[in-house]
Amino acid sequence: MDKISQSVVKKDHATKISGRSVYVADYPSEGVLCGKLLHAKVARARVVRVEVPELPEGYFYVDAKDVPGDNNVNIVLDDTPVYCRDTVEYIGEPIAMLCGPDEAEVERLRDACRVVYEELEPVLDLRAATETFFDYHYGHGDVDGAFAEADAIYDEEFETGYQEQAYLETQGMMAEPEESGRMFVHGSSQCAYYIHGAVARALGCGPSGVHILQDVTGGGFGGKEAFPSILGCQVAVAARKCGRPVRCVFDRREDMEYTSKRHPSLCRYKVAVKDGRVTAMDIDVVFNAGAYSTLSAVVLQRGIIAAPGVYDVPNLRVHGCARKTNTSPCGAYRGFGAPQTFFAVEMMMDHIARDLGVDSLAFKQAHLVKQGDSTSTCGRYHFPVPLPAMIEEVETACSYREKRAAYAKPQTGRYRRGIGMSLYFHGAGFTGSGERDLIKAVAKLRKYRDGTVEVLASNGDIGQGVRTTFPKIVAHELNLPLDKVFYDHPDTARVPDSGPTVASRSLMIVGELLRRAAIHLREVWVDGEEQEVEERYKEPDFMIPFDITKFDGDAYPTYAWAVNAIELEIDTLTGTSKVLGAYGSFDVGTPVDYNIVLGQMEGGFLQGIGYASIEKMDCDDKGRIRNNSFSDYLIPTTKDVPNLRCMLHVEKYPDGPYGAKGAGELPLVGAPAAYLEAVEQALGGSSLHHAPFTAEDTLAVIAKEGV
Amino acid sequence: MVNGYVAASLSEALEIRAAHDVVPYAGGTDLMVENRPNVTYLFLNKVPELKRITVDDEFIRIGAGVTFTEALASPDVPPLMKEAVSRIAAPAIRNAGTFGGNLGNGSAKADSVLIEFVADAKLRLVSKGCERVVDVDKFYLGRKKLDLRSDELIAEILLPKQGLEQYSYEKVGGRNALAISRVSFAGVFGLEDGRITNVAAAFGAVADTVLRYKDLEATLLGKTVEEAKALKADYLRAYAERMTLTRGRVSAEYRKNVCMNLLDAFLTKFGIG
Amino acid sequence: MADIRFTLNGRAVAYAGSAGDRLLDVLRRDYRCTSVKCGCKEGECGACSVLIDGVLMNSCCVAMGAVEGSSVVTMEGFRETERFAALSKAFGDLSAVQCGFCIPGMVLAAEALLSKNAHPTEDEIREGLSGNLCRCTGYNAIVNAVNNAAKEGNGLW
Repeated sequence: MDKISQSVVKKDHATKISGRSVYVADYPSEGVLCGKLLHAKVARARVVRVEVPELPEGYFYVDAKDVPGDNNVNIVLDDTPVYCRDTVEYIGEPIAMLCGPDEAEVERLRDACRVVYEELEPVLDLRAATETFFDYHYGHGDVDGAFAEADAIYDEEFETGYQEQAYLETQGMMAEPEESGRMFVHGSSQCAYYIHGAVARALGCGPSGVHILQDVTGGGFGGKEAFPSILGCQVAVAARKCGRPVRCVFDRREDMEYTSKRHPSLCRYKVAVKDGRVTAMDIDVVFNAGAYSTLSAVVLQRGIIAAPGVYDVPNLRVHGCARKTNTSPCGAYRGFGAPQTFFAVEMMMDHIARDLGVDSLAFKQAHLVKQGDSTSTCGRYHFPVPLPAMIEEVETACSYREKRAAYAKPQTGRYRRGIGMSLYFHGAGFTGSGERDLIKAVAKLRKYRDGTVEVLASNGDIGQGVRTTFPKIVAHELNLPLDKVFYDHPDTARVPDSGPTVASRSLMIVGELLRRAAIHLREVWVDGEEQEVEERYKEPDFMIPFDITKFDGDAYPTYAWAVNAIELEIDTLTGTSKVLGAYGSFDVGTPVDYNIVLGQMEGGFLQGIGYASIEKMDCDDKGRIRNNSFSDYLIPTTKDVPNLRCMLHVEKYPDGPYGAKGAGELPLVGAPAAYLEAVEQALGGSSLHHAPFTAEDTLAVIAKEGV
Repeated sequence: MVNGYVAASLSEALEIRAAHDVVPYAGGTDLMVENRPNVTYLFLNKVPELKRITVDDEFIRIGAGVTFTEALASPDVPPLMKEAVSRIAAPAIRNAGTFGGNLGNGSAKADSVLIEFVADAKLRLVSKGCERVVDVDKFYLGRKKLDLRSDELIAEILLPKQGLEQYSYEKVGGRNALAISRVSFAGVFGLEDGRITNVAAAFGAVADTVLRYKDLEATLLGKTVEEAKALKADYLRAYAERMTLTRGRVSAEYRKNVCMNLLDAFLTKFGIG
Repeated sequence: MADIRFTLNGRAVAYAGSAGDRLLDVLRRDYRCTSVKCGCKEGECGACSVLIDGVLMNSCCVAMGAVEGSSVVTMEGFRETERFAALSKAFGDLSAVQCGFCIPGMVLAAEALLSKNAHPTEDEIREGLSGNLCRCTGYNAIVNAVNNAAKEGNGLW
């Protein structure tokens, strides 16, 4: 193991485990007003008026009229309002915030507000939705020709549902007017500079009029990428009006029902096969964006770029669109569009193999991309594709092929077994040229007179460990003990914009900037002096420039790779399933801390297993999400899986620090396909097309098809 | 104490219960989730008379204030009840939740109540200077409706000492811990001199109260296993016709299907294949 | 009216508020025990776990009247113990703490388990922690850390 990979005790371990860490809800309440949002109760309506009860002294009602600047939150487009405009577009849309010193009284006043609606017909069904936020096409080769010459054509549709991030700490932000007039906003978040831009715009005050601090954050998984920008604006506007600090912390039901989650999807795959090989894919991807566009453009881009999977498809046509429905806006969640399409393509390949009477894994292996091949967007896989070796690692861990053959034979008895395998990648970092053209990351190191070094960057530790791994890199290059290098939660008043904490980019991109900065500092180091060095992002030379209008070029500099196998047993009387073993080989390059990376793989893998099986959320016929509590939206407990077997395969990436590449999102992406393939086998060879696949779904198949 | 009374003894608790408008608080795990505004609680969690498990000639008597964790540690609580109770939620909930509270909450999803139904348990209800014993199925009048007067408290659950040895228990939740039952099933079987003496089957979490059909059970009583086998198809059909399930987060169809599968498996387990 | 008297982390305290108030809210607001986290207020996540008379409880599901005469221990008290030090080391060695929000409750669940069963099997550890949701770790590191603490902290429990 490389020296850099050797695990250390995390820098924030002691404060977190002892309960001393201060999350946004933990600041004292003295002098702080409690804010509670008044949420829309109908899916689509014109708001005629709001009848606000008489407010006691010290209590405030805040809405769009109180926004001093622009009532639009910039995410990708500007369509998300801070507080609703004259219509509400989904159940839960924030109409106003009630603020005051006593929480119970604020809730009472909020509940006493009477909103008079003129109801409009909502669009709730994705299939019936016609308004499209984003619509993309790309492809290459002669798709129609390949279909004309095909021996067989397969045409199947796959569906996936919502997934809720279910971070243990709910959304929460706090705004404090400072004496200078500057607004200080802090809270649970991933992207301090996104919030900075949004709040400055809402307050109409310019960038120097605000600063944003990331508080200790109890999990994000993408859910705190864009949403805190909206909530941050809401509390900032409230604090400006009230002239006092305002804090708004969501309760669990509010959070589950109204905040962003993974996009539900419909993916239709038409595949041409000739001489036992896939010759073309014609893919149509539809994502349910919800009521506002938020991050749907970029989620969809990643989803459709991943649509042909890890396979070499000579002729490819992909169409993707994100449609508007009157439901909670969907947003970022670990994997960012790719879990949906990887689920579809892996199931599709499995179904084709079964129809051809060939082994699913062998069929997939025969189509694997390799180094030098073209990517779906006519970029290149510049680096080795280690999937064949990783398949054998998983094989060694779980005897996949032997079990797969054994469980394919007819089974009897109450419990039936199956095993499935998925192969996948995750494009490391931002899609396309975002890093170069939009983010332009800057990171700094500040050395103090006593020889300690501070990392200045804007990437928030949300549990993934950047407060430890960033200093590890710097200490390594400066040959300093780790306790001489520190990295606090970012405050935009003191750190440069090194970009958001998203897209599995922090360690690979910003970590590399810090490595270079440390080398620079080492070169100019003068004892006893305060010194500062800065590094800026430079795109690697090998990149084929990406054109987003054509989806052409290198969408990602490199890829993280994974192979998962899941073995399970279903109960034919109840439809419930039991995971007997979950195995994964993950290549995220060099781990900058073995335990930290392993923890990312294990945690993401279990989220993927949950997504595949028990994490079911949907809307009723009014557009209301009913699965809004931990008793209704089920995430795995300790008793739902055995210890997961995760292995790290290291294929170093030369432009990442010590060979590291994107890590955090990868392990979630492929679990659903491995899980569903196993369920298919346990059910005696059914073809399944949706995730999550619940006990109820399993029993429905048994009732229809027998076992 | 503001908005609450802490009773140190059962007699004190009954005095307070008779004199004030109070909500009996045993473990709190359901009440605190309901979070009713402006209620006054009568705290029973430290009443010693309600915390005992005793055995007499006829019954295992479980105090209403006994927690699930305490029952799991008791040598006197029968395995069927322990199996059901061990599957409730998770340790912290089992440490707080009580048998009396599980009854008093009135839910058909209550896992200990299912066992009380299938076991023909009785409840001892007490009030100031008065007590009565009722069959558990008579205690449940409907959804969240109980035969409990405003001056009464549940004192004990009386489980028959014998006859619970041969059983099936199944809990179907959404996951393996912290799971609310979507279907729960308990069956108790008895055979003497080659004839069926008991074939009780109870279904939880599928209707307003626990379902049990004693008239259908009666059609197998006194029969030999062979005779029962011949009747099985009709027997299952009769259940299928009778069971009308309420809709929940999972469909009524699914739950009905599970109920019938589990009933079938229960009969098969005891030779009625 | 009489206050509600109980001990909090070994110190005698008296609460003058309503007997129906949630222990979770009172601990956080009145006694500033902010290690006790609110994850759901419905007994479904375990982030607010405390020990009451040595027994693991969800403090969101406990009304103040029920703690009259009891001993309540939160992480603010438990972190002063040797047992905490052993658990903290075991968790630290495996980087079992990610976002940290579930962790004070998780550690108290581990303490409750080990104080009843000093040498649990993996299944017993998973049972003991089953009411404490963690979304970050997939539980491997936490389960393994509790296992290591039980072994290395031999004699502490």
